[in-house]
Amino acid sequence: MHEEVSMSDRLVEAMEPHNVFTIKLPGLEIPVSDVVVVMWVIMAVLIFFSIFLTRKLSAVPNKKQNVAEIIVELINNIAKDAIGEHHWKAFAPYLGTIFLFLIFANTVSIFNVIPGEGFKFRPPTRNINVTACMAIMSICVVIYAGIRYKKMSGWLKSFVEPIPMMLPFKILDYGIKPLSLALRLFGNILGAFIVMELIYMAMPPVIPAALSIYFDLFDGILQAYVFMFLTSLYIAEVLE
Amino acid sequence: MTGIIAIAAAIAVFTGIGAGVGISLATGKAVEGIARQPEAAGQIRNVMLLGAVLAEATAIYGLVVALVLVFLKMG
Repeated sequence: MHEEVSMSDRLVEAMEPHNVFTIKLPGLEIPVSDVVVVMWVIMAVLIFFSIFLTRKLSAVPNKKQNVAEIIVELINNIAKDAIGEHHWKAFAPYLGTIFLFLIFANTVSIFNVIPGEGFKFRPPTRNINVTACMAIMSICVVIYAGIRYKKMSGWLKSFVEPIPMMLPFKILDYGIKPLSLALRLFGNILGAFIVMELIYMAMPPVIPAALSIYFDLFDGILQAYVFMFLTSLYIAEVLE
Repeated sequence: MTGIIAIAAAIAVFTGIGAGVGISLATGKAVEGIARQPEAAGQIRNVMLLGAVLAEATAIYGLVVALVLVFLKMG
């Protein structure tokens, strides 16, 4: 019985954000949790690689430039397929950014190479505040796309487009879309994270390595793709 | 009280049944479609992914409700 209590305590401890350090300003203290620190690390890695891979661009690509071109081409193709030939260029950078960020954020727990206690890389998307923030960002982009490309009047008219009776449902749409985006990402990542933590507690050697391929890598990359795919679909829907 | 909350969480996770049936139907039909028309594989995959993701959302809501019950209510 005692063992069981400590196990659930360890699980809750792993799920909650921890305070790493506190920024002290006069009259104000800002606690910084490991969720934020891991996101800063991911941002630093992404910024470093995007500068490193795109230095000295030339018409005849070298090795580094080839890698960058493959990634950009992949994202451009996804955006072109979903949004269409006319407007994809404005949204490909945003879609690519969330895709790359979420790939690293969801799979960051495989970079836990140092055994034992101390600072651990845990996926920041296990916290609902992070996913809710990303979903709100996405719905802001969708609203921006509507206002930018259909003008204010056209966008407002789309609320009553087929019949005026649709108005409440169309308004609800703008609440349900970010809610489902946020909960989908959060639920998937937290679920996989809890399963992996339980496996780490129950049988530490060898077996987690095999299951981590599914729960960390496959699920994480799939959910990152799904988030980007749904955002691009919502943008395409509002642009119609 | 704790036992009832645990049972409630277990019932919430039953939403997974619907998602399982929905995703398997979507995937099965997609396989049939690709077998009939291999050249439309890309488009079918995108539509199947959309359907699977929307079906999966119900299971995720159930999972989130269960997690909230277990970790916030049971203390």
